[in-house]
Formats: sequence, C-alpha cells, structure tokens
Amino acid sequence: MTDRRSPAIRALRRIGPRLAPLTLIAVIVIGVVVGSVGGLRLGAPRSAAAWAFQAALDGAVARGRVLVAFDPDIGTYAEIRPAVRAALAQLAAHGASLSFISFSPEGRALAVAELDRLGRGSVQASHLLDLGFRAGAEAGLIGAVRSAIPDAASGALADGLRADGGGVAAFDMTLVVGGTEIGPRSWVEQVAPRVPQLRALAIVPTVLEPLAAPYARSGQLAALLATTRDAAAYVDLVRGDPTVAGRPATTISDLPPAALPILLGMLLTLGALADAIAARFRRPTDGEEIAA
Amino acid sequence: MTGLVDLGDGGAVALWVAALATLVTWSILFGVNRPFRWSQRLLAGLATGYLALIAIREVIVPGLVEPLLAAPAEHPALWIALGLGIVLLGARWLPPAIGALPIAVLLGATAAFALGGAIVGTVIPQLAGVALYPSATGGALSSGIVAAITAVLVLLAFVHGQPRSRAVAGLAGAGRWIMLGGLGVWLGYLIVARLALLADRVGFLVVDWLGIGR
Repeated sequence: MTDRRSPAIRALRRIGPRLAPLTLIAVIVIGVVVGSVGGLRLGAPRSAAAWAFQAALDGAVARGRVLVAFDPDIGTYAEIRPAVRAALAQLAAHGASLSFISFSPEGRALAVAELDRLGRGSVQASHLLDLGFRAGAEAGLIGAVRSAIPDAASGALADGLRADGGGVAAFDMTLVVGGTEIGPRSWVEQVAPRVPQLRALAIVPTVLEPLAAPYARSGQLAALLATTRDAAAYVDLVRGDPTVAGRPATTISDLPPAALPILLGMLLTLGALADAIAARFRRPTDGEEIAA
Repeated sequence: MTGLVDLGDGGAVALWVAALATLVTWSILFGVNRPFRWSQRLLAGLATGYLALIAIREVIVPGLVEPLLAAPAEHPALWIALGLGIVLLGARWLPPAIGALPIAVLLGATAAFALGGAIVGTVIPQLAGVALYPSATGGALSSGIVAAITAVLVLLAFVHGQPRSRAVAGLAGAGRWIMLGGLGVWLGYLIVARLALLADRVGFLVVDWLGIGR
C-alpha cells in the first residue's frame, strides 16, 4: 500500500514543522513593516486594570518619593518595557523622585540602562537616585526595610531619605517591576507585614499573572499590570494624558506598533493548533498504518 | 533605537552586535545547530562574568572588605559572615559537619523567611479574601460566594490519598476543570505575550537595524 496523497502535500507535511517558525517570523515581519492598521489595537478597550493603575499613579503619594524596585527578567522585560516606561514617565511628569533598587542581578543590569535613559531624558538629577544592588534576594529585601540607602549615595534626596529612617518606610510609594526571582509576591510577603502603610503597585510579565493577580484583588497591591493587553491599554492612556505626553523626559516607547504582527502570529498559531487537533481525528493513510 | 543602548558610535556597535546575536540565535530555526550553541555559550559566559563582577563590585568589596578594613572591631557580624564564607569555600577539604554549617544557616534562614512571609503575607490575607462577611451585600456578596465556592472546589482537587465519597470526588473533578479553565485563559495570555516578545525582536531587526519603516 502506498500514500495516495500528492507528492507536494507529502513534501509540505515533511518540511512543515521546519517551515512553521519561519512562516511565523515572516508574517510578523509583514505586520511590523505594514505598521498600525486603523481599528486594530493591542490595548484592551476598557481595561479596569489600566484605569486603576493610571489613577494610582495620579494620586498624591505618587508625586512624592517613589521607590522603584527594579527586578524584571531579561528574557521577558521587552514585554513590559513600554508599560514600565509609561509609568516612569507618568511619575516623572508629576514631579515624583525615583529611587531605583534591585535585588536580582538581571534587574540591576536593566535598572542601570533605565537610569541612564532617564538621566539623558532630562529628568532632573535631583529626582533620580541609584540605590544599587542588594544581595540575598528576600533576605536582602528584609534588610532594605531597615536600611535601603547605601553609604555612597549622596545628594538632597538621599539625605532626606536618611533623615526619615533610611529604610523602605521613608518612601511614599513603591513601584515593583517584578520578575521570576523577586516580584510582587516577595514584596507582599516580606515587606508589607513590616511596613503596612507603604502603597505598592506592580508591573509583571504575563507569566507571573497567576501569582500576582490575587494580591491585586485582595487589595495587597494598590494596582497591577500583568497582561500585555492591560499594559498596552495603560500605555495608550498615558500617551493620551496631556500632563505627561510631549515632555522630553517622558519618551514612553519607540517600539513599532505590535497589534498587527501579534494578530497575524495568533492566526498562524491558531491554524497550527487546528491542524494538530484535526490530525488527531484524521484517518491514518495506508502508508502511516504500515509504518505504525 | 530601542532605548536600551544609545551611546553614539558605541551604540551603533551594540546595535550590530545585538542584531547579529539575534540572527545567530535564530539559526536554530533553519536547523543549524552550531551557531545556536555558540550563542548559548556566549550567553552563559557573559552571565557568569557579569555575576562575578556584580558580586565583587557591589557586594563583596563595599559590603565586606571595605567595612572590615575601615573599622574591623565595629562589625562582628561581618567577621562571622567572612568565616562562614571561607568555610563554604573550603567545604571540600573540611569535615562534613563543619562544611555543612554555612549551608544549614543559608537554608534555615531562607526557609524561615519564606515560610513566615507566606503565612503572614499570603495565606492569611488570601483566606480573608475568600471569606464571606455578614456585612457584604449585592455585588460584593455574589463575588464573595463565587470566590469561596471556587476556592473550596480547587482545594478539594488537591486532596489526594484520602478515601472520598462519590459527591466529594465529583466536586474535586469540578475543581480540576475550573483549574484547567484558568490555565487555558492564562496560556492564551501567555501566547499573546510571547508573540509580543517576538514582535519586539523582529521590530528591532526591521526598524532599528535595517531602518525599514523608521
């Protein structure tokens, strides 16, 4: 018995698995080159999470001393980078001071890059403070509750924080940019019981959404951005905010529009999924029966 | 530029290195393994070097060496830490009981932090979150009922090894389906997120590197 399908289909089935990723990249390239398409938006249209996040960063405490706990993973940072930059832009535009601290080495590398970008983006030097890297992961986090300002830190902001105790409690708010190693869970479990008055907001990649979402629902996090659509909706809100947009310090994101490439990628993925499901129910050909 | 690097001529070099590293990593898509393995080794080497650098520059020197050299008598805890570190380094040549001491301290402290934090920060507040309060009305009451039922069903799904009645087994099955539903939603979000990452990288190559559509 022989396989009765045409040689072209057999060849396609043979090279299909290898072609699939290349096809995915090709359609995403097309999507990137075509750019934005009217009516197609990545952001969720009425995202409660995005509204809550923007409102939380518009509050009075977000105009004071903000601790940016910067521990994203290098692998997934690109996913949350536009939302992180929008949040930093909103804080900077409202006159908040930003003090960066990291508890993971990956977070530290990315924090240095973001600090450099903010410094070149005309955020006043007096409103930026690098608190550096704290070793020990959660133990380091607990240590920062008592003392977060390194001896080497200088300037009016560092002196003011030292005068208020020098620990996490000296800040008005914390923006947790989380990753796998240190994220909102660590902050809620280790810092919140020790500094209950501290307001914490978080931005995490989608992979951590199941871990972080319960804390937002229980009110342990003041606001949370944890999915690509909510993050994109928040970026759109900040772009449309006249108090933020247009300021030189607040370049939010210079990435190409991602809605079309993601839609094309989703369609291709769904096609592959449908093909896989159909293959389960497809009657095996004579050749495949023999092989089995 | 993506904003990660923008250092004039140095930025241009970084752009080219990043673009070539991306292409080398994607060589696995063409079935070419060797360049992909090079990129893995490059990543491992760079990560190791970076970790060593950050440990020396931001932890060991400012946190241990400098304070001990400046005021040796004022930091008894750092002497203990130094001693434990030396024991850890020399554990291979020391009796097992002594070599295990720093590891025991490390594991014990980590477990104490994690367990205490999990109970105070997660278990108790989350249990309070699914509790039904007599004062709740309207939307809060219905939301609370749904949360409590969901929590009970999902917790039942994790009860293993105990004899269960048919009703409890059915409820546990319902809990498993609720979990699967949640997992499905999360995986859907995850696919979008991974596509966003891929679109970001493709955008970097097409727009930032090749300059198409800039």
